Amino acid sequence: MSTIFIAINLAFALLIAPVIDSFERKIRARLQNRQGPSILQTWWDLIKLFKRPTVEPQDSVKSLYKLAPYVTFTAVLTAYLIVPTLLPSSINFIGDFIVVVYLLGLATLSFVIGAFSSGNSYAQIGSNREVSLFMSEELLLAFIVGTIAVIGKSLSFDQLFPLPLRVSSALALILLFLVIYVASARLPFDIAEAEPEIIEGPLIEYSGKHLGLLEYSIFLKRLLLYSLLLNFIIPVQNPTRLIGYLIGIVVLSVIYSTFEAYYGRFRIDQAVKLMKKLSAVALVVWIIAVVGW
Amino acid sequence: MLLIPIGILVIAAVVGLAKAKISLKIVSTLSAIASAVMIYIGIVGFETTLELKYNLFNSSSLFVTLNWLVFRVDSLSAFFLLLLGILSLCASVYGIKYMEKYLGKEDTRIYTFNYPIFLLTMYLVLICWNLLWFIIFWELMSLFSQFLVAFEQSEEKAIKAAFKYFCMTKAGAEFLVLAVVLIILKATSFNADYSEIANILPAYLSAHPGMLYALTFALLIGFGVKAAMIPFHSWLPDAHPEAPSNVSALLSGIMIKLPIYMLLRFFISFFPLEPEIGLIIAVFGVLTLFFSMMYALLQEDSKRLLAFSSIDNIGYILLPMGAGIYFLANGNQLLGSVALAAALFHTMNHAFFKGLLFLTAGSVMYETGTRDLNYLGSLAKKMPLTAFAALIGSLAIAGMPPLNGFVSKWMIYISTLSSPATSLFGIIAIFISAVTLGAFVKYFTAIFTKPAVKEIDAKEVPLLMSAPQLLLALLCIVFGIYPFIPLKMISQALGSIGVPLASLVVYPSLVVPKTGSYSPIIVFAFLLVSTLIALLLIPSRGSVMSTWKTGRSEDLNVSMPADAYYRDFKEAFNEVYLLGDVSKGFVQKVAKIGKRFGTKFEVLSYDLNSMLSLAMILIVILVVLLGGVGL
Repeated sequence: MSTIFIAINLAFALLIAPVIDSFERKIRARLQNRQGPSILQTWWDLIKLFKRPTVEPQDSVKSLYKLAPYVTFTAVLTAYLIVPTLLPSSINFIGDFIVVVYLLGLATLSFVIGAFSSGNSYAQIGSNREVSLFMSEELLLAFIVGTIAVIGKSLSFDQLFPLPLRVSSALALILLFLVIYVASARLPFDIAEAEPEIIEGPLIEYSGKHLGLLEYSIFLKRLLLYSLLLNFIIPVQNPTRLIGYLIGIVVLSVIYSTFEAYYGRFRIDQAVKLMKKLSAVALVVWIIAVVGW
Repeated sequence: MLLIPIGILVIAAVVGLAKAKISLKIVSTLSAIASAVMIYIGIVGFETTLELKYNLFNSSSLFVTLNWLVFRVDSLSAFFLLLLGILSLCASVYGIKYMEKYLGKEDTRIYTFNYPIFLLTMYLVLICWNLLWFIIFWELMSLFSQFLVAFEQSEEKAIKAAFKYFCMTKAGAEFLVLAVVLIILKATSFNADYSEIANILPAYLSAHPGMLYALTFALLIGFGVKAAMIPFHSWLPDAHPEAPSNVSALLSGIMIKLPIYMLLRFFISFFPLEPEIGLIIAVFGVLTLFFSMMYALLQEDSKRLLAFSSIDNIGYILLPMGAGIYFLANGNQLLGSVALAAALFHTMNHAFFKGLLFLTAGSVMYETGTRDLNYLGSLAKKMPLTAFAALIGSLAIAGMPPLNGFVSKWMIYISTLSSPATSLFGIIAIFISAVTLGAFVKYFTAIFTKPAVKEIDAKEVPLLMSAPQLLLALLCIVFGIYPFIPLKMISQALGSIGVPLASLVVYPSLVVPKTGSYSPIIVFAFLLVSTLIALLLIPSRGSVMSTWKTGRSEDLNVSMPADAYYRDFKEAFNEVYLLGDVSKGFVQKVAKIGKRFGTKFEVLSYDLNSMLSLAMILIVILVVLLGGVGL
């Protein structure tokens, strides 16, 4: 029964993640007074990419360069075994909060290693920024994980979903909301892929199927993070969980894409410093949680 | 059976005195055989307790404590013996080819004589069962490892590093001597046998808290210096890179773990469990891992980066050890035993992946002759096996699932994060784990994938060098996917010092009830299967084209040397480095004052009368100290 639930959740994520992206493109287009693409446009883009052949650059380390997109994709996919999406999951022995954080770390790492192996200098600059941002973002995330663990006295999701109603949980979830925005490579923070300056950075040499997989894994990662946040809020047992979840996804998409439509890109040092400041705030939130509010 | 490795290693050392070229091969082979026997002893030690007793000085009242030389292997020593055996087997086999590079350049007798003796002293430290004999073997170990650090006699840097290493560990050992003498004189009435001490000492120290804290202080400094705990770490980044790479693998992989072994013996079985002591150790652990990793990020020398990361991993071992003592003292058996198991698991992991990484750094040096990360580059195509091993090592040390590093880090977080007292430690550990990832992305990409400054001539290392690397890489993978074998050993080892490990293993997962769970098998299987399906559905086939150079025909003059990595991150966290520099300046000032005193003392020492009176004063102070601390 629970295995079927997980399979349904996986299928849902695989199907819907690109749709959410086209939905966000539509919202951004409307905000900028454009018509915008159809709701299935991202799917058509992906299918087109999957049909194309791939190109391997001469200076690349072939095996790593070719394998990296697949590992990035499956690392994100594995996290869906742990974080429930559409249906609540009762299987909790596969992993906990820490495992999810590290699977996302694995996705970032293999993405970066693949880019470094391409032999292109722009990819190096981009990956270097990606890792810098990842490290500072992880400081903030570590505080959030610690705060949530102190609030729920556990790291296991069956104890943490949903979080008890406390000042500290609300503050921790606001910070999680911010860190999700940073981690999903959106406009002020898509520093690693910045098109105008370093020409898509880590993605520069990737084409065809590889590019499709990498983009697909970014969409999957976004949906995963949305689901993580929503699971902390929505009560598990409630029959209206499904409706709440779907509405939550739409609301998050609207908020995030609105942000994205109005912002310009940060410089990497600005982003790192912002993460540091937010971590100081997170330290205060952690203290609030320890005090017991 | 305990004597077999001793015999083989002594023969090896004698052979090593010969200058013939062949002696290098014989010594390495003999050491490898001795290591294999150690592995066997380690495995047997989990089933039965091995013991040997010798009455050395018959009925001599002067040496009553040294009278009995007792060797004994219980599960805890067996666990460390296994690590020593596996690592020294790899290092010895690796040395056969690797050390040939030095033939004709350096006097290889320094290596062939000292290497087996160094192994022997580590072996003796692990099997001896008497505190006084332990001190003797411990000092010998420091002495002979120092000669190995100074192996490259023509390099002034190596000699200086070895001298610094020796001075610092010797000073640390004095604190140990003081602690041991205190224990033997005051508490156990001239009895230094471990089992006797474990019987007498806890009750005595519970009654004398002043003595407990004095001993804790002395032991933390004494073992802290050897384990390179911050602020006593400064010898390690100098000493470990200078030694030949297979010796560095042993120094980092196992020698700095022996203090951990002794700390476990002292703080768990000899001392009463006090929450404050646990917290002190954990705080030192956090300081150690934080500062060392932030500095590792700056390094541009491959082995120096690895050396800083060794300090970092000592922090990752001290942190759960302290947290474990804290939980046990507070009566939380579950989290306490998980934390201590995490400490032992990380000890094992670090032995494997750091040994592996030092060997890969050595292979790169063997082929290219340099450790400079700025100069190296694009070796992955030329040295595919070494690159593969280095990648596995880097992934494991960054704690990526499903490799072994993740299992121990997961256990550390699970045990620390959810309790308010230790939560902050866990948070910093997660952040530093991400920084570790950054540092090892730098290590791997700077050597193996980034375009080199100029074409480097290199080829894959010979089989005798790549085989040990691949063996260690395999262990990293296997113990990551199937951590149940080491966990079983760890629960036995903890059992032998009186900590029952609560049932952590719920097949096929690791489960800490109500706190967390991780199933390495399922995660690995899903990663593997879904990658294979993705490869089948979306096959990666394509043509080779030249790398895109923004449309120009000549090479882009854009390159990223190792010192350019993460510059913005370093600038944003500048406070950490400023703090580090201030404390470094302070330590240097203290060292300078010490040197001035030393010179004055030397002048003074020519005068016999003043020397004698000084010695008298020192003896008086010592007596007062020894007598006074217990009050």
